Amino acid sequence: MDASTILFYTIAAYILVTGVLAVTTRKIFRSAIWLLFSLIGIAALYFWMDLPFIAAVQIVVYVGGIVVLIIFSIFLTQKSGDQMPKPILGRTLPSALASFFGFVFTINLIWHHGFIENKGILFDPTVDSIGMQLLNTGEGGYILPFEVVSMLLLAAMVGCIVIAMKVKKEETI
Amino acid sequence: MISFLKTYFTEVFQAIKSLLSGMKLTGYYFTHPKNIITEEYPDNRATLKMADRFRGEVIMTHDEKNEHACTGCSACELACPNGTIKIINKFEINAEGKKKKAIDAFVYHLELCTMCNLCIVACPTDAIKMSPNFEHSVYDRRLLTKQLNHEGSKIREGVE
Amino acid sequence: MFSFQNMTQEIHSWLSSLMSETFVMLVEMTIVGILAIALFAFLGLVLVYMERKVAAVIQLRKGPNRVGPFGIFQTSADTLKLVLKEGFMPDNVDKFLYKLAPFVVMITAMLILAPIPFAKGVQIWDINIGVFYLTAISSISVIGILMAGWASNNKYSLLGAMRSGAQIVSYELSAGMAVLSIVVLTGSLNLGDIIASQEDGWWIFKGHIPAWIAFIIYIIAVTAETNRAPFDMAEAESELTGGFHTEYAGMRFALFFLAEYINIFIVCAIGAILFFGGWMPFHIGSWTAFNHVMDFIPSFMWFFGKTFFLIFLIMWFRWTFPRLRVDQLLNLEWKYLLPISIFNLLLMTLVAIKGWHF
Repeated sequence: MDASTILFYTIAAYILVTGVLAVTTRKIFRSAIWLLFSLIGIAALYFWMDLPFIAAVQIVVYVGGIVVLIIFSIFLTQKSGDQMPKPILGRTLPSALASFFGFVFTINLIWHHGFIENKGILFDPTVDSIGMQLLNTGEGGYILPFEVVSMLLLAAMVGCIVIAMKVKKEETI
Repeated sequence: MISFLKTYFTEVFQAIKSLLSGMKLTGYYFTHPKNIITEEYPDNRATLKMADRFRGEVIMTHDEKNEHACTGCSACELACPNGTIKIINKFEINAEGKKKKAIDAFVYHLELCTMCNLCIVACPTDAIKMSPNFEHSVYDRRLLTKQLNHEGSKIREGVE
Repeated sequence: MFSFQNMTQEIHSWLSSLMSETFVMLVEMTIVGILAIALFAFLGLVLVYMERKVAAVIQLRKGPNRVGPFGIFQTSADTLKLVLKEGFMPDNVDKFLYKLAPFVVMITAMLILAPIPFAKGVQIWDINIGVFYLTAISSISVIGILMAGWASNNKYSLLGAMRSGAQIVSYELSAGMAVLSIVVLTGSLNLGDIIASQEDGWWIFKGHIPAWIAFIIYIIAVTAETNRAPFDMAEAESELTGGFHTEYAGMRFALFFLAEYINIFIVCAIGAILFFGGWMPFHIGSWTAFNHVMDFIPSFMWFFGKTFFLIFLIMWFRWTFPRLRVDQLLNLEWKYLLPISIFNLLLMTLVAIKGWHF
């Protein structure tokens, strides 16, 4: 077992532990912080795989964006500092079953198919090639999904402006 | 639309201009350290020069014959907003056998004084004035109650 | 000529002859970590002293002048005081998050240090996506501030943290746009490549007016991002008694304080790299003799000279301009800086495509 493998198992254990803590803690803000650590762990895994661009995107989108939004919405809710009540059995049981079956399913897949050994570099993770692929209109290009996502974001932004916009009331004398 | 853009850009340029003019002034101060006005007080005690109108405490001026100009009219006592001044009068019999009012003690409570200058303004004979001395710290509070007229002093001839 | 590259190479080969590759890496990482912490401590002392002196001279005062000659040991004495102070913790705080928050802020500041080239051949991690890595990591530091504000169980702290969050999230956009406009010119995210592309002149001179606009926007946005006056809404001593670090004392407060100054150093270093060529000496096109004279000044002197010039600029801002109100702050970003920087980015792209830069 070389240092790289040890590092992988350390990161994996870190992600799992923080992930479990995120769902078991009874304080909602702490839950968000554990989620943050879990997501940073995933970014670390990308760095371990020598994919710095994907790792940085993971940090920008999930850590800098999503978690900050979650924290903001927690700040704006009432009683956010109190302990949450214990989850009722009717919710715990189905979710435990769901995660158990998901786990079994994954183990089953791995058991039957195994991993393909990575022989040399299979893909080119540089920023140049990612950018080219993203805006490529030819074979294997991602221009259509890219544009669809940008349309979605534009619609979301317009929606936000409509919600936030104050309608000027007619002046009544 | 055009007018909007015009006001927008004039706003931006004026903002930058005003910020730059502010930076010019502070930059001037930064590059000219001779303007520094800090007094390193205990070190420069020998050469320290207080401003002319600095109000450190109230004093009564005495001339070389140990005479002052206070008639004991208590205008300053009345003018004082917080009872800093207390004038104790006595009656002297002068050469012509007349009784004349004179001060026995001009009591000044430095610990109550706010240096508001109202007593100096109220004085009809300019007997008291503000001194720039500011080193008043003492170990006993009673030492701050002072008698402003000197021992054995009397009113100057001709001051009414 | 003296070069850091040879030195590091020699250390590496000497270590390699002693132990296996993994241990060489571990030892080197430890050395680099210790050096980084030493640099942090040193920078903290120097920058706090510099800030106090600059502020004093601008306000016609003398500044610290009692401890040592010109008061240079004043900050060391302050640090000693902070270390010896009791690590006081108020009741009813979220103890775990309260203790964690200063470290999150500090570790973020340390992580950003990794891809910065301090001199020719002195770089902790030559990462290919340098600039993007910097923007990514710097977005974590806001979480440390939010955490501190929340865990303190104090209204002022929470308000300060909320303001800081809103401020950092919005000003990151225009700072990112300004950075992107230089990336567009260089065609690379690697900081080494960006510096190498400025061998015949710095981008601020080569990039015409768009580069100047980008630089101005960058310096405004990073002043806001580091929560400094005139954008110090997060601390706001006059209305929030210190904002997110109101409840912190002793060494925990010192970590926040240090992180603020380290962040200033880092954003100024990035600004120096992007607009003033990092460690690259001042070169003018084809004036070979002039360029050779400039090469004799060591590269780390160039880097620190430029960085400290930018730090001085930010301090100059702080002691000149009046503070903004929180709505004015958001107006400035969303109504002025962001539209201008978007158009500036388009203009810069045009310049880059047409090859109008020098």
